Amino acid sequence: MEFNFYKRMSGKTFRFALACFAVHSLTLSVPLELRAHEVIVNRHGESRIQQSVSGVVTDENGQPLQAVSIVEQGTTNGTTTDAAGRYSLNLSNSNASLLFSYIGFVSQTVTVANQSSINVTLVEDVNVLDELIVVGYGTQKKKLVTGATIQVDGEDLQRLSTASVLGALQSQSPGVQITQSSGQPGEAFKVTIRGLGTIGNSSPLYVIDGVPGGDINTLNPSDIASVDVLKDAASAAIYGSRAANGVVLVTTKQGKPGKLTLSYDAYIGWQNAYRMPSLLTAKEYMTVMDEVRFNEGQTPYNWAALIPKQYQQIQDGTWNGTNWLREIHNDDALTQNHAFNLNGGTEQSNFSLSYSYSDQEGIFGKPVEPDFSRNNFRINSNHTLLKNDDFDVIKIGENLTYSYSKKGGIGIGNIYWNDIHNMLVGNPLLPAYNEEGGYYDRASKVADGWNLDGATSNPLASMVYQRGLNENKSHSLLANVYLEVQPIQDLKFRSSFGYKMNSNSYRQYTPIYDLSTTTANPTDDVSQSQGMGYSYTFENTLSYARTFNDMHNFDALVGASMEKWGMGEGLNASNSNSLFPGSWDHAYIGNAYTIGTTTVIGGMRWPEGGLSSFFGRVNYNYNETYMATLIMRADGSSNFAHDHRWGYFPSVAAGWVLTNESFMESTQGWLDFMKFRASWGQNGNASIDPFQYLATIAFDSGNGYYFGDNKNDLITGAYPDILPNPIITWETSEQLNIGIDSRFAHNRLGFTFDWYKKTTKDWLVEAPILAIYGTNPPFINGGVIENTGIELGLTWDETIGEFRYGINLNGAYNKNEVTRIDNREGIIHGPEHVLSQGTTEMYRAQVGFPVGYFYGYETGGIFQTQEQINNYRNQGLGVLVNAQPGDVIFVDNNGDGAITEADKKLIGNPHPDFTGGLNINFGYKGFDLSLTATGAFGHQIAKSYRSFADSPLQNYTTEVFQRWHGEGTSNKYPRLTMGSHTNSQYISDIYIEDGDFVKIQNVTLGYDLKSVFLNMPFSKARLYVTGQNLFTITGYSGMDPEIGYGYDQSWVSGIDLGFYPSPRTFLVGLNLTF
Amino acid sequence: MKKIICLIALSTVFLSCEKNLDSLSYDKKNTGNFPSTVTDANQMLTGIYSTLSQAISNPQHSHFYMSELASDDRFGGGGENDKDMQGLDHLMNTKSSRFEPFWIARYQGIFRANTAIENLDKVEGWESDAQKNQVLGEAHFLRALFYFELSQMFGEVPLVISTVAENIPKAPADETYAQIAYDLQQAINLMPSSPYSSVISGHATKWAAQALMARVFLFYTGYYNKTDLPVANDGGVVNKAQVITWIDECVNNSGHGLVDDFRSLWPYSNDLTAKDYDAYTGPLWVGDGNKEVVFAVKFGTSVDWGENYQLGYSNQYVLHFGLRSNNGLADTFPFGQGWGAGPVNSRLWTEWRTSEPNDIRRTASIMNAETDVENYIYGADSQMEETGFWQKKYIPITAYDEGTLVPSYAIIKFNAPADMQISHTQDLVLIRFADVLLMQSELKEDATGMNKVRARANLPAVSYSLAALKKERRWELAFEGLRYFDLMRWGDAANALAAQEGVAIKNKGIDTQMKAFGGGYKARFEATGGFWAIPEAQIQLSEGVLTQNKGWGTPAAEFTGW
Repeated sequence: MEFNFYKRMSGKTFRFALACFAVHSLTLSVPLELRAHEVIVNRHGESRIQQSVSGVVTDENGQPLQAVSIVEQGTTNGTTTDAAGRYSLNLSNSNASLLFSYIGFVSQTVTVANQSSINVTLVEDVNVLDELIVVGYGTQKKKLVTGATIQVDGEDLQRLSTASVLGALQSQSPGVQITQSSGQPGEAFKVTIRGLGTIGNSSPLYVIDGVPGGDINTLNPSDIASVDVLKDAASAAIYGSRAANGVVLVTTKQGKPGKLTLSYDAYIGWQNAYRMPSLLTAKEYMTVMDEVRFNEGQTPYNWAALIPKQYQQIQDGTWNGTNWLREIHNDDALTQNHAFNLNGGTEQSNFSLSYSYSDQEGIFGKPVEPDFSRNNFRINSNHTLLKNDDFDVIKIGENLTYSYSKKGGIGIGNIYWNDIHNMLVGNPLLPAYNEEGGYYDRASKVADGWNLDGATSNPLASMVYQRGLNENKSHSLLANVYLEVQPIQDLKFRSSFGYKMNSNSYRQYTPIYDLSTTTANPTDDVSQSQGMGYSYTFENTLSYARTFNDMHNFDALVGASMEKWGMGEGLNASNSNSLFPGSWDHAYIGNAYTIGTTTVIGGMRWPEGGLSSFFGRVNYNYNETYMATLIMRADGSSNFAHDHRWGYFPSVAAGWVLTNESFMESTQGWLDFMKFRASWGQNGNASIDPFQYLATIAFDSGNGYYFGDNKNDLITGAYPDILPNPIITWETSEQLNIGIDSRFAHNRLGFTFDWYKKTTKDWLVEAPILAIYGTNPPFINGGVIENTGIELGLTWDETIGEFRYGINLNGAYNKNEVTRIDNREGIIHGPEHVLSQGTTEMYRAQVGFPVGYFYGYETGGIFQTQEQINNYRNQGLGVLVNAQPGDVIFVDNNGDGAITEADKKLIGNPHPDFTGGLNINFGYKGFDLSLTATGAFGHQIAKSYRSFADSPLQNYTTEVFQRWHGEGTSNKYPRLTMGSHTNSQYISDIYIEDGDFVKIQNVTLGYDLKSVFLNMPFSKARLYVTGQNLFTITGYSGMDPEIGYGYDQSWVSGIDLGFYPSPRTFLVGLNLTF
Repeated sequence: MKKIICLIALSTVFLSCEKNLDSLSYDKKNTGNFPSTVTDANQMLTGIYSTLSQAISNPQHSHFYMSELASDDRFGGGGENDKDMQGLDHLMNTKSSRFEPFWIARYQGIFRANTAIENLDKVEGWESDAQKNQVLGEAHFLRALFYFELSQMFGEVPLVISTVAENIPKAPADETYAQIAYDLQQAINLMPSSPYSSVISGHATKWAAQALMARVFLFYTGYYNKTDLPVANDGGVVNKAQVITWIDECVNNSGHGLVDDFRSLWPYSNDLTAKDYDAYTGPLWVGDGNKEVVFAVKFGTSVDWGENYQLGYSNQYVLHFGLRSNNGLADTFPFGQGWGAGPVNSRLWTEWRTSEPNDIRRTASIMNAETDVENYIYGADSQMEETGFWQKKYIPITAYDEGTLVPSYAIIKFNAPADMQISHTQDLVLIRFADVLLMQSELKEDATGMNKVRARANLPAVSYSLAALKKERRWELAFEGLRYFDLMRWGDAANALAAQEGVAIKNKGIDTQMKAFGGGYKARFEATGGFWAIPEAQIQLSEGVLTQNKGWGTPAAEFTGW
């Protein structure tokens, strides 16, 4: 079994080198620098008799602050900092205190004592309501905002040391539910803003640096300046067309005038699974299997004859079976990130340049553990071409982000494509490796006389062979250029052109193997696919802002945009019989070129489409006390027929700052700010397959036929593939939002509240149609989903001397209900065979229920005695014909004396009622400590680790010990039966568990060496240690309660068939700013 | 300022251009431009045939599978989880909407045929009228075949003969049979009288239409106790004399005939297997598309689970009828692995042996695990309803490829995928010439056709009697999807099916007897008339316009397992 993993090894070597570099910079370079500074400190310490003081004032990022005012308290003596943040002041009093103050920052008082050098870091005044937030085609003062938005600072994302931006957003965004769809590195998150509104595409619109439609997963958290989430319809309305699921605005870091600063941020961490199910050992397994046979009226296995060699080893205690999950656990899986940022420029031109590398290994999948790595390069710059005395007349700039990521993984899909599942059910009596170190395959079974079951195969080997050798590479370029012209003070024209290029390639190899009588592949298979294409956006806006009579503040924006996508092609091929059998390195189509029956060749243009939009916004406020916003957007989409293309999305919003009123003066002592706001608006959604309005004729290779006696010539067929829906049009989500923003106790306490009702109308849904119509259903505008909820945010920030601390608690409650489905039965059915072959539909969308709710039988415990069964029957309650003691009691809900489909009901809801996040942080001198937690409550998980119908020999977890095996032994777990007895075959609440959890996501302790070694050449040198996923508080019995998997359906989650769990990680990191 | 206004005006004009919103499909045509050429017409026709494969992607819910497992000559079998198989045998339901995949596939075929029949006039450039008539005739043939299978399976079904989408109730059987007769008449009249070999195999011919007409006539008049078959569109009736004319034409002019040796019809006699199959001494396999095949579903080698192709491109019946895991290897050579559906009722073996002891067809059709294979394991992979007898007509046939046992001869012969689940390329013969001869005998009530069939099996001629004909059909056409419907039309079903009770079987290797479920075979047959449940989901989607068949939808009809 010669296997070549060179490619992966080389990846490992590279990573190791990087890790060494990181460690090197931690252990060697830093102390060298420190020694240099001690000298300087000492020298300054000796010259304390001078009556002057000097230093540098920087912000928290180490950026120098210019024009900071420094005043010797009690005097008029003072100065300001220069462009490099430097100052120098001769003191009039040796016991002086200096007051450092700067607009937008918290003022600081420092006692000089005997110091001659005082460097000050001013903390941005987070409470300042004048802070600007991004609202789409512009910014707005936070205190004037009338909608429901969240802003998360890039630093708050970065400090969580996650590989993905969404992972970091999780705990910081009330009303935005972010769930991992798998713990495998590089896998996506499910993002739902204010409840699921559709069973189609429910992800929000991402707008990256003003360009809609980008992929947030291609960004490194270190590149992000801020993320703004527009949750209510009115805020999102300016992006009307695709804003039905909310809008996420991402702003990458921009250059700032001033000193050139270079920063290096890095971490390296080690990940492990924190909870693994306890699987049966060989001995336990044999006992359980024999009990199954006994219950079935069969004789126990003759283990000594069936597995002679292993039986001997088990009996003499030298071997206790294979724990397959343990076998594929990748101990101390590495994760690391390195980011370099260079910022600088002048008033005229500035830039921000960065490169980052991030890499994460998977905790399961050894010896082909998943691996995700990403390289990012970004350059943003802004240039003023023409300037007058007051403002920039012509500005030009660009944002450019290139990302290259590489991903390889194992199966994380359904029961037939899930390696974690395969390990959970793997037969513990089968060794993983033979004595020669090769995989224990069919030949090993034959050699050892392993004769229990011919079909049993080594799940580890089949993972490697069938799903482990693959590589996904993707390149993405996101660029935009803008031109801003401001001919007069109040008028601004902006034109921006965005360009997105994506290219991806995939390669997979399945070698020849022979693992069992049913798991064999006599010819190897190579497949490759590649695609490349681009899309563009062209936008022009004109804005005008003016204040009249110092009271009437008015700004208006009009704009037009067009988008075009689908300029790209894909090619794919797969074939058998590689010229280099067994070699992953040589697994390319060029090495398997003989055309045969397994040859697949494909190539297609990407489906093209376009969007044209016009929009306008008027903001008005009277003295920053009464606010109103009016937005109108019109969008035309190529997905609809000519007469149904255009959708119009209006919105209105209003706000009132109560605390500006004169009658509120009495509350000023404790209430600093209070604003009421209300908004109403409509947003659209057009994400469906194109050409639903046309009676199309398809020609796919799945609809051909074999004529003649040549078995190799598939003749192409044509067929009408859809019942056209010529009147298909926009889905509309309508939302009413009422909110309060307030600040108390001298701005230390912040409280926000939102209530919303989001109604998704004309829901785009592919509803089933009668089979006699003879073809596939089209999408129709066919349903209504309502989401109603409440969001609360509570923040507290305080600085006591040098001690700073802050608490941020947020929570959201949401109720989801389908109120109409326009097909005849009012149901969208889910698929069968989800938990095991032969199981019926287990989730569906139905009027009156949450979308994707779990559907099945309610159970009432376990029948303990025959008498109890008889009693049930005598009472006229339905009992299955074959029921015997130890079987599940299915509840006859309709009391018709039989257990039928009509007894099924809601047995679980995958959507949490309540989600929340908590951030606590402390700072003292150079120390910082923070804790982040996230939680979800009120939802259920459907868990089944065994796909029982596939083989009765599947292993169990030790939960099996709680089975019923005689009266009174269990009222929850039925007796053991072989295969798909109705006990397991009927979808019932025995699979359903509450999924409530609180995860301590991140605990970080950092120390900035700069606070000790004041004169080191860094403005910041922070070292930190972090623990991620330290505790999960949950009653859920699986590996990880945070389960986005829903049988590959966007509208379902919480199905655990062996979910790839998120790791517990310990990492050390470094932030250096020069 | 002026300049800027100009610029915005310009960009607005540019953007508002609706052209940005006009897009083109790069992989599909539409009914506006299709079909317009002869190639289009042929592709459309292929699209109709493709639904035959589509139904076989889910074989366990199909017409052929049902007729085999529900018949008296075979049990359900499979593993203990395969309630679908056992449920069929007991005429019971196993899940809501179980026949939906078949229902969908057939109505897809009907819709495609309707589309073709309505739109073929748009096509220009025919070489001749004959070319057009062949395509149109095949579309009519297929629509008739689809409705016939639906009617045999469900009794009454909605009759859709145009492309208009309408929620309509079930049509009376008479109406549907009238439409079937009309379509077959069209097919017979439109298609040429040239020998079968002038058309590429797989395509329907005039002869196939005539044979199917005879089958439809026999079933309709037999089951519904009628003398004539009505014809839709005021076509009067098809009477027995007319059918006899057609079947005689088919026998005399089609070019079809019997192959010399019955055993060479089945793939176990293929050269690649036969070289190592010492027990087989007969002539080699004549292959798919031989002169005895009047109409068959064709299979090929580009197969997958639906990513690029479809599962039904391979013969999934063969897989389902294979031996359960741990059997199907060298010890049972040449009979390969599958899901163990449809064990043969041992009564067929014994009754056949008693009735016709010298019939070579018995051992040519049935594998006796005791004598025919080296080492057979009872109860392998929890085999249920096992008798030790397996049919040999549609079962995986393995072969040695340079010493390695491969799951099918087709892997070597046709380069089929080397996977036991998708390597089976054996065509499924829906109409075999031997059946045509037997129908000829039955219609004419003379033994000529029947004795040709017997002569091929080296059996002496007999004189005609219905009893003799019934036996002959049972032996000759065993396991070919006909028995169940023969019993239905002869009125023999209830008793014949009930005779399965008490037959010795093994469940998971443990000796037991076939037993009654749901009140017994007879009660089930009488409750349902032999027809099956309309898919429940379709009834719900129709808002009750469709109604459930009698005998279904009650707890008593549900098979929950042994």
